[in-house]
Amino acid sequence: MTTDTAPGGFRKTSSGRRLTGIIMNDYLQLHQRAADGAFVVWIAIVVPAELFAGFDNVVYAVPESHAAMSAGKGVGTLQCEKAERAGYSTDLCSYARIDLGTALDGGRDSPTFGMPRPHLLVSNTNNCSLLAKWFDVYHRMWGVPHFILDIPFCYEEQTGADFAYIKAQFADLIRTIEELSGQRFDEARAREAVRLSGEALLYWKRFTSLAAHRPSPITAFDSFVHMAPILTSRGTAQLVEHYRELVAETEELMAQGVYPVPGERYRLLWDSIAPWHQLRKMSARLAALGANITCASYTYCIGSLEGSFDAYAYDGGDPLDWLARLQNFSVCPHGMKLRVRAMKEAIERNAIDGVVFASNRSCKVYSLMQMDQMRSIRDTLGVPAVMIDVDHADERKYNEEASFVRIEALLETIDALRGSGA
Amino acid sequence: MNDIPQTLAQMKNRGRRLIGCFPLYPPLELLHSFGLTPVVLWGMNGSVQNYDSSDRHLQNYTCRVARGLTGFIIDQAAGLFDALFMYNACDTLRNLPEIIATEVELPMLRLHVPALPEERTGAKGYLQDRIRSLVKDLEQFTRRPFSADAFMASTALYRKQRALCRSLDTLCAAGGIPFARAAEVLQSAHVLGVEDHIAVLEHELAHPPSPARTPGARVMASGIQAPPATLMEVMDDSGITVAANDIATLARSYADCPPAQPDPSGYYCDFYFRHYPCSTMLPAGDRRIEVLMQRVRDSDIRGFIFFGEKFCEYEYLEFPHLQDRMKDRGVATLFLEIGAEDLANLMPMKTRIEAFAEMLGH
Repeated sequence: MTTDTAPGGFRKTSSGRRLTGIIMNDYLQLHQRAADGAFVVWIAIVVPAELFAGFDNVVYAVPESHAAMSAGKGVGTLQCEKAERAGYSTDLCSYARIDLGTALDGGRDSPTFGMPRPHLLVSNTNNCSLLAKWFDVYHRMWGVPHFILDIPFCYEEQTGADFAYIKAQFADLIRTIEELSGQRFDEARAREAVRLSGEALLYWKRFTSLAAHRPSPITAFDSFVHMAPILTSRGTAQLVEHYRELVAETEELMAQGVYPVPGERYRLLWDSIAPWHQLRKMSARLAALGANITCASYTYCIGSLEGSFDAYAYDGGDPLDWLARLQNFSVCPHGMKLRVRAMKEAIERNAIDGVVFASNRSCKVYSLMQMDQMRSIRDTLGVPAVMIDVDHADERKYNEEASFVRIEALLETIDALRGSGA
Repeated sequence: MNDIPQTLAQMKNRGRRLIGCFPLYPPLELLHSFGLTPVVLWGMNGSVQNYDSSDRHLQNYTCRVARGLTGFIIDQAAGLFDALFMYNACDTLRNLPEIIATEVELPMLRLHVPALPEERTGAKGYLQDRIRSLVKDLEQFTRRPFSADAFMASTALYRKQRALCRSLDTLCAAGGIPFARAAEVLQSAHVLGVEDHIAVLEHELAHPPSPARTPGARVMASGIQAPPATLMEVMDDSGITVAANDIATLARSYADCPPAQPDPSGYYCDFYFRHYPCSTMLPAGDRRIEVLMQRVRDSDIRGFIFFGEKFCEYEYLEFPHLQDRMKDRGVATLFLEIGAEDLANLMPMKTRIEAFAEMLGH
């Protein structure tokens, strides 16, 4: 195992290199299989992709993931501007604008050469119902059928009625693909895919839980980067292997005393989607301050039920049951009470000193309860917090200096609290 | 409706039990049948002096609809409302119940309306169950049993009210009433009891303002809420005739009314699955475009003014396609974006409306 450490603590591990290979291969396979006649589905990120493994020749692409990668590779603004020139407002989600810009320009400037044109669009309402409108644009542009999964928002834990409603929709989706693709669904294969996803998520949880160690062997930025294959390789042995090796490598680095922020003085929690255009810059600048954003609500929620922190393990039963029960996991589809509950758990387990609430102009559903959530965390746990303005994929809406003025103020507050013995 | 809090206070003083509802298409008939007076909290901006109360909870990139209703509830709800009701519509609104609950202690009734087409497996059954569950919640809250007769009576009232609203639209399209005046009367539906609103509509239809105007350039107005009165007056003064509207607080709210039936679970399946298409009703996207184009043809529309609500992503994502379809048909379009902070600076928009009217006149 080798580790390249860049100035400021950013490191390229062997897992990082393996990750690059996985993602590159996933997109190459996607294009190749589509060119060879596979049935192509575009999905929102929480759509249960394991179901597609139940078909002989169905491949899927994830526009949100592609948009995040585009932002990370520095072409987010370029693609946004293409969509804006076509009449799409700058106030729309930057994932949507990047993706629309890419599609409208035939995939030009995309780090993955775009995505193969779909035969079916599957959006959902759980992360955001905007997705349904966004996919409607393609539906009209290309005359492709659009299947919406409606996932009721959870103010409390998911109800039995909602669970049954979601599960019935999955069965409907399977029937729809059978009809459109002419392929038969094999439940045993989907079950195996779910088993593999379940196993991979256990390793994922083990990886993110390493943040409890002081100093932390990981940063939230590691989790942002390494979550990618959960979106593109779901239900595969490759996914299990990647996370198994990621855990092993991280534990080995710990044993060697190699940490991303060696002089870690401040342990922070990030609440929002990753600022894809800032990963390297932000992590380096934080490391220089002795600050480590060790965990993020965006990634610690993966594999948990809404409002909880631990893994929701697959028990080998009906795969649709497990998939349906997990549909509200990803922060956006559940309410403030549940968000605060999970965040308190994260703060306590990871010994967090302060929270950075990233108010994200592109994601209203994530952001528009942060002001109250921040008060709740401050008042009930006495943990200081700040709010900074970001946009997850449109760099034009982010101001580094303004953000760091606030983050540095948070660090000073943490120091002051330590000094006062609070 | 110049003073909404005062109007509501008067109804409260007359013994009405008010339930504040959002967003635009709550099950009014059902709430009314339980002896409640539903008030639709949409377009409350005129009653919000400033956004201080909502700014304590919502970032400034929240739409003015949400900021207005949040501020209104925080500042005004105590003593006015007996309960609140909400159903799912957009990403912003679904976050509001818990935010509001941090400041306002009122019972909150909720409904999840499926964002699926009627024919999808389980959609109808799920909605029927949710309506039955809401009926139980209402029985518990009001301490009275559901009455099919009362529900039928309430349904008849709302049917009459919606028919009268459509008649006023027709009058407006014929130049018989200025758009600004028609919109004011029509939108008062949201904050008046249905019986009172019927009386207002009947009076207005019987005594239209005189003299009647000469019909001008035929325009369709669209948006998630009606524009500020000042802009509607400019439209009237510029010689524009609003021959059809696709405004959510107006025509989208009263364009359709399902057949009467004593079972609310069946009634609301018709109501929600076959509702006049609105950008907030996700499965209705295709139908919305077709309905709008049909209305453009039927009403001989020459111009289309889209009042874009700043930060309303649903509306934003439909507009480029809508604009293309209008252009294909030779309909001129004007896009005006209005945000909470724009209300004190409407002059540029006035100028654009006047220019648009002049262009249509040529």
